[in-house]
Amino acid sequence: MRSSTDSWADALRDTGHLVAFRARTVRRRGASLVGLVVVLGLTAVFAVAPNGFELSGSGSAALDRAVAALEDNLGGAFLGLLLLAISSSMGSGGGRELLSRSEVAIHPVSPVTEHLGALLLAPLNLAWLVQMWGLLTVTSLVTASDRLLGAQLVVLAWVLAATSLGQAVGWAAEGVRRTPHGVVVVRVVSGVVVVLLAGLHLAGVLGPVVRSLPTTWLAESAQTSSWPVAVLVLLALAAVGVVVGARPAAWALGLPPREELRVQSGVHEARHAPEPRWGSPDRALLHRLDRGSVWRSVGMRRGLMVLGIGPGLVALVAGLQWSSVMLLPGLTASGAALLFGVNAWCLDGKGMVWRETLPVSAADVFGVRTLVVAECLAMVSGVTIVLALLRNGMPPLVVGAAVLSCWAVVLVQVLAIVMTWSVRSPYAVDLSSPRATPAPHASMAAYAGKLSLVTTLTGMVFTTISTGPWAWLPPAMAVPFLTYSVWKLRRARRRWLAPAERARVVLTVAAV
Amino acid sequence: MRRLGDTCPVTQAPAVVVRDLHVRFGDVEAVSGVDLTADSGQATALLGRNGAGKSTTMKVLAGVVPPTAGEVTVGGHDAATDALGVKRVVGYCPDVGGLVPRATPWEHLQLSARLRRMDEWEERGRDMLERFELGDVAHRVVGGFSHGMSRRLSVVLAALHEPTVLLLDEPFDGVDPLGVEATLEVVADARARGACVLLSTHLRDLALEACGTAVVLRGGNRVAAMQAGELTGEAYRALLD
Repeated sequence: MRSSTDSWADALRDTGHLVAFRARTVRRRGASLVGLVVVLGLTAVFAVAPNGFELSGSGSAALDRAVAALEDNLGGAFLGLLLLAISSSMGSGGGRELLSRSEVAIHPVSPVTEHLGALLLAPLNLAWLVQMWGLLTVTSLVTASDRLLGAQLVVLAWVLAATSLGQAVGWAAEGVRRTPHGVVVVRVVSGVVVVLLAGLHLAGVLGPVVRSLPTTWLAESAQTSSWPVAVLVLLALAAVGVVVGARPAAWALGLPPREELRVQSGVHEARHAPEPRWGSPDRALLHRLDRGSVWRSVGMRRGLMVLGIGPGLVALVAGLQWSSVMLLPGLTASGAALLFGVNAWCLDGKGMVWRETLPVSAADVFGVRTLVVAECLAMVSGVTIVLALLRNGMPPLVVGAAVLSCWAVVLVQVLAIVMTWSVRSPYAVDLSSPRATPAPHASMAAYAGKLSLVTTLTGMVFTTISTGPWAWLPPAMAVPFLTYSVWKLRRARRRWLAPAERARVVLTVAAV
Repeated sequence: MRRLGDTCPVTQAPAVVVRDLHVRFGDVEAVSGVDLTADSGQATALLGRNGAGKSTTMKVLAGVVPPTAGEVTVGGHDAATDALGVKRVVGYCPDVGGLVPRATPWEHLQLSARLRRMDEWEERGRDMLERFELGDVAHRVVGGFSHGMSRRLSVVLAALHEPTVLLLDEPFDGVDPLGVEATLEVVADARARGACVLLSTHLRDLALEACGTAVVLRGGNRVAAMQAGELTGEAYRALLD
């Protein structure tokens, strides 16, 4: 019989069992393997390829200035990764789960195992991947070729350390959140941090403060012969983060999830049926129900807020220029889609069967669900653009046109992709826990990879166009992108309208 | 706008007609050749072991799953070509769940009533929630409900609009005795106003109490149809094996 205080060896073994169990349930093994190879390949490319560009003495003053700015902000970017790790784990209730709460309830899984599982799943996060790739790319760009290996090892060690420390802070925040008045405490502290950062920025001291942090030393020493010391320190920090993080994890998981329980027993007084000025009352009623399903979920509400504010704060802290900001709307919209949009019908859960018995056209159901997903994507990416505007001020006309065109394109692009996935590959999931994901982890990783790739490439196209003199070009360039995405969205709608396909989606999502 | 209390149109034709129904999910044939008729003003029990095809047949009758082959008419509407028409005349309590997790019971009732163009539904909604002892939780999200509470609310939702065809799939599952009584009353009321009731359950005694006729399915086929009183425990067991 095992004691209640499980050893680390037991926890590691149990984590292995859970990972193996999940791996056996992967539907398309070949595709998953290809996805893994692509991610690793991209990581290697981002770590090495930019070093081959001959930037010094390029003759372009703008390019030299851009490279100098990247090098100058590298310390801030290191800090950004830590902030992201903290906000991700806080947003997901301490960290993602290898098995859902209801699935794991019948097994003797210790908090340490839960903690290790959450650490393993941390990379299955679009923002985490993009930030890591960004750090590798910039480091490769600004480092001499003979120092590249050491510098990238420092980056990877920092990624490990920041992830484990972020996880520990995330569990601690979740523990506080589960105490009486803990939700208020976490919200107040988070608000104070945001206000503090905004205040420092408005006072013009945010940049110097960020540059005075140890992450600047880290970024600098990575490019010197002292990189082994930095790697050792960071690996030690990572190990400390892993070990120490188990304590707040055990504390948090031993407390009742107050916020979820409050939401599950939440009272919502009756409201009159909406009477919209335009559109049908049926659609308005469905719209209200679908919106409620999003905003009454702790995980989705928290995730949307983190995605809205987080990347914008990174833009503020790291001082991203418009050329870099152009990539953010696509990435934040992708992040929002990963909260539920990739499996949009899961909002109804088992209620999907009942929904399907309602006498309302399938086209209206699809239209309303698409609208609700679009609202979430537009909201989080819009907040990012507003915060970037706060940092950089009004952009030149051509850049402004490129930002708006790019925003519109990536929104429709992400919407078309996720609605296609929602109809093609539905899953039965319970999103009542903020630790839950709308699809299995392997699928989530593939979704994150595809969305980030598509939106980043699109962003790069518009970034390139924005360097030209023609303000008409970005909107003109948006037309073919939008046309293709709208065609794709209509194709997903046609598929949904086929009764047999719709029945398959309904029965899968409701798990009956 | 529909008014409550309107009695269902009683016609000579059966309210539910199923001829040689086949439902296939990929390689699996869930229903293979079921024949069934059910009249207005009658309650019919659908019995059988797990996987016999009861719930799938119910889903076809509710317009949720299209038939792969065969003829299915519900309240005069063809389930293959007029699923929306079927949904307008049917009230369906699914076998599992059936509730949107982050909506309240009242919001469920409101949506169902509005989409069916019901006038003055609030009083009946409130009354039904009280009958099923859900009045106190009418404005709580259903995600925190017990299994029994969810089942009771599913029955309320199925019966709210006084449908022409009432489909109850395992309505007694996990429900306390008071909930069972309230469900039996709903069935009796529906029969009294001329509705056709189809009730699927594993509980033979309750099925016989609620229904006048019984149909037994096995392996996706109908193996027997008889008066409920003729379905003794021994006869039922023999039909299952």
